[in-house]
Amino acid sequence: MGNRKRSYKAEKVIERMGKKLNRQMVASLVACVHCGLCTEACHYVLANPGDPTYAPAYKADQVRKFFKRHFDWTGRILPWWVKAKSLYTDEELNELKDTVFGKCTNCRRCSLNCPMGVDYATFNRMARGLLVSVGVMPEGVAIVSKDQWEIGNQMGVLKEDYVETLDWLSDELEDELGDPAVRIPIDKMDADVVYSINPREIKYDPRTISDAAKIFYVAGENWTMPSECWDMTNFGLFSGDDDLGGAVGRRLYEKVVELRGGKLVISECGHGYRSTRCEAPNWAGMDVEFEMESSVLTMLRYIKEGRIRVDKTKNKIPVTFHDSCNNARSCGLFEEPRELLSLVVEDFREMYPNRAENYCCTGGGGAMSMSEYTPQRLKSAVTKANQMKDTGAEIVVTSCHNCVDGLTDLIRHYKLGMQVTQLVNLVANAVVVEKKVAVPVEAVPVMAEDNVLKGYRILVTDDEPDFVTFVSAVLEDHGASVSRAYSGDEALELARREKPNLITLDIAMPGKSGKEVFEEMRADSDLKRIPVCIITGRPELRRLIYDRPVPPPEGYMDKPVTEDGLLLNVRKILETAHEKKSSEA
Amino acid sequence: MSGLLHFSEHSLQEFALGFMALVYIIRLVWLIHFKAGRDRQAQTGAANTNPRKGFIYSWANIAMPWAMESTRTKFFLYVQFAIFHLGVTAAIGLSFVIPYAPGLLESAALVIILKTIIGAAFIVGVMRFVRRLSNKYMRAISSPDDYFSLTLLTAWFFFAYLSVPNSTESGEWHLLGYFILTAFFLVYVPFSKISHYLYYPFTRYYLGKTMGHRGVYPMRHVPQPREQR
Repeated sequence: MGNRKRSYKAEKVIERMGKKLNRQMVASLVACVHCGLCTEACHYVLANPGDPTYAPAYKADQVRKFFKRHFDWTGRILPWWVKAKSLYTDEELNELKDTVFGKCTNCRRCSLNCPMGVDYATFNRMARGLLVSVGVMPEGVAIVSKDQWEIGNQMGVLKEDYVETLDWLSDELEDELGDPAVRIPIDKMDADVVYSINPREIKYDPRTISDAAKIFYVAGENWTMPSECWDMTNFGLFSGDDDLGGAVGRRLYEKVVELRGGKLVISECGHGYRSTRCEAPNWAGMDVEFEMESSVLTMLRYIKEGRIRVDKTKNKIPVTFHDSCNNARSCGLFEEPRELLSLVVEDFREMYPNRAENYCCTGGGGAMSMSEYTPQRLKSAVTKANQMKDTGAEIVVTSCHNCVDGLTDLIRHYKLGMQVTQLVNLVANAVVVEKKVAVPVEAVPVMAEDNVLKGYRILVTDDEPDFVTFVSAVLEDHGASVSRAYSGDEALELARREKPNLITLDIAMPGKSGKEVFEEMRADSDLKRIPVCIITGRPELRRLIYDRPVPPPEGYMDKPVTEDGLLLNVRKILETAHEKKSSEA
Repeated sequence: MSGLLHFSEHSLQEFALGFMALVYIIRLVWLIHFKAGRDRQAQTGAANTNPRKGFIYSWANIAMPWAMESTRTKFFLYVQFAIFHLGVTAAIGLSFVIPYAPGLLESAALVIILKTIIGAAFIVGVMRFVRRLSNKYMRAISSPDDYFSLTLLTAWFFFAYLSVPNSTESGEWHLLGYFILTAFFLVYVPFSKISHYLYYPFTRYYLGKTMGHRGVYPMRHVPQPREQR
């Protein structure tokens, strides 16, 4: 292999590849005949016509070439004959990083379209793992992985924040349904169901938790949520780090055993379901004795068993369904969500192609956390956007949090004007609550609702006057005192002067952008403790959530926002921040 | 029959076959020495799917062009694939028929069948070569081995076509060309992409087993309106 000097990292990547290879991967690495049939299976290719570097076989060859050079006999003897090539420099590792992280979401669509059965997604993940092992990875992947190792969940949510949020949600549910039994049970021993969630839910999408709690309550389920080790997401799947994958899975499994839980129910998250249900036992090298199921199956079972009744007329708006790649192509979960949808919505419109042939949302494979590849992610989303547009639906439903974010970004980018929601939201909306409820939902006292924000000062920042007017009106109607800013500079000035209890912040604004304002605030000792809720349609938000150059915002919402959604998020931030302050005092 | 042609049809072929078999065994031992990954998790997906059904479906996939979008929507390429591989089968069979059962070629029907299949495979070989050269994506993924293997097989089809029905009226050059290329092909195959058929059972077995375990295989084909338009 000549006398060319190899960098330490390149040396390690090659050395570790030998240890990572298994028979499935080797067969996939040697079997490709370069027939090109995988080419048009990839959404990146369809969005970038004429650029062969996106073709699955081409991308696979970037990994295959150093496999051939070091492990395959023809490549060792006549490397140029089979395009075998070793890795030497850190620059080459960076180029490989851009391919395996930036040009592929590991959606496995090409694998299912390969006549030879080459599973490119599997060895692309292996290549990611090799790079991660020498520290070559997108910044967001590094940060999220670190939090999952150290704090135990991918968004770095602390135990007290988690428990406070669950308590707050319990208060809300108790107010809404008028029954203390609706409270979310934490660390309850011997529950039949242990419910695990995605940290995105506790941090930015609490509605999904309260909706699930409402369904469990109506079903009369004996359930609980763990106070620790509750994260069912797993960045090991995205980073290719089997050790992280195994550790995260093991933590959750051991918690269920510790609580003597009967079954682990996994909330709607494609990669979380795949990792927890299917992959982590393999990574952790352990056999899991208890049952695990997706919450989609749980909700469907409740309806079939008559434990909950649903009224589909409550969901009248036309909906379509997006199959998460991890659910559909790697776990065979595609009929059940449709069956459930048919029970809870009036107008369901199929998206084509669908099920295991569906196109990726473009946010998979950890892409949402890799802000450096955002432009190519959004460009590659055109196929998905056209698929969605063709349905004529107003809402796209998906059983995956990554897909929620990925689809939200593309809806905004391609101006589709659709909303994204999850099955749990639709089921909770359709569920018939009877008898046990002391105060019917419709009869929640209006006065109490009107003043929920009384005493809070909120600074609303956006360069769109109509949007400022809408947000301000909602907040003022509920008792808040509102200041308005139409640019970044104005926001900073008002924040310094008024020290509000909360700032809502847009990202794209003339002058100082919301991102700059946010970073400046976090660096300012006077302002850094003021909670911020970013309300935007810009994908730059993802960088603040995943790369976290500064502590992430307390909340975020994707435009367009609804009155209910706005109120829920604003109240959650204000009230949990208030409780935190009180407990600190 | 000249001594050279006799040597080419017998000793040379036997040596080449023996060499190929030996190298294949070494290759399989090499592949099997890698540990197979294991699925520890309980099965997911529909109740009528399982690993066994999965790998049987996966192996049968080759004969089900409707099963994958890539072959369903590019049916002409699938037809080319079928003809090309039938041509390979026929040309390999011919290399045994001529030396060991030449009487079979007295059947006019068999001669027509072999000529048609091998001739069509030759045309497909040329078309595939043109596609590999003219398509930007194909060029980007092609190695010298890809071009050479395709050229080798296409030239082999050409000589195989001429070698049916084993006539030496116009000389022995075409038979010599066919048997020498066959021997070269047999020796070269284990080092080239042509050996893919050795790996095919493995790749499809493991993918099928996993997908069967996960409830994805056998895939339920749902009509996709865009394909029907």
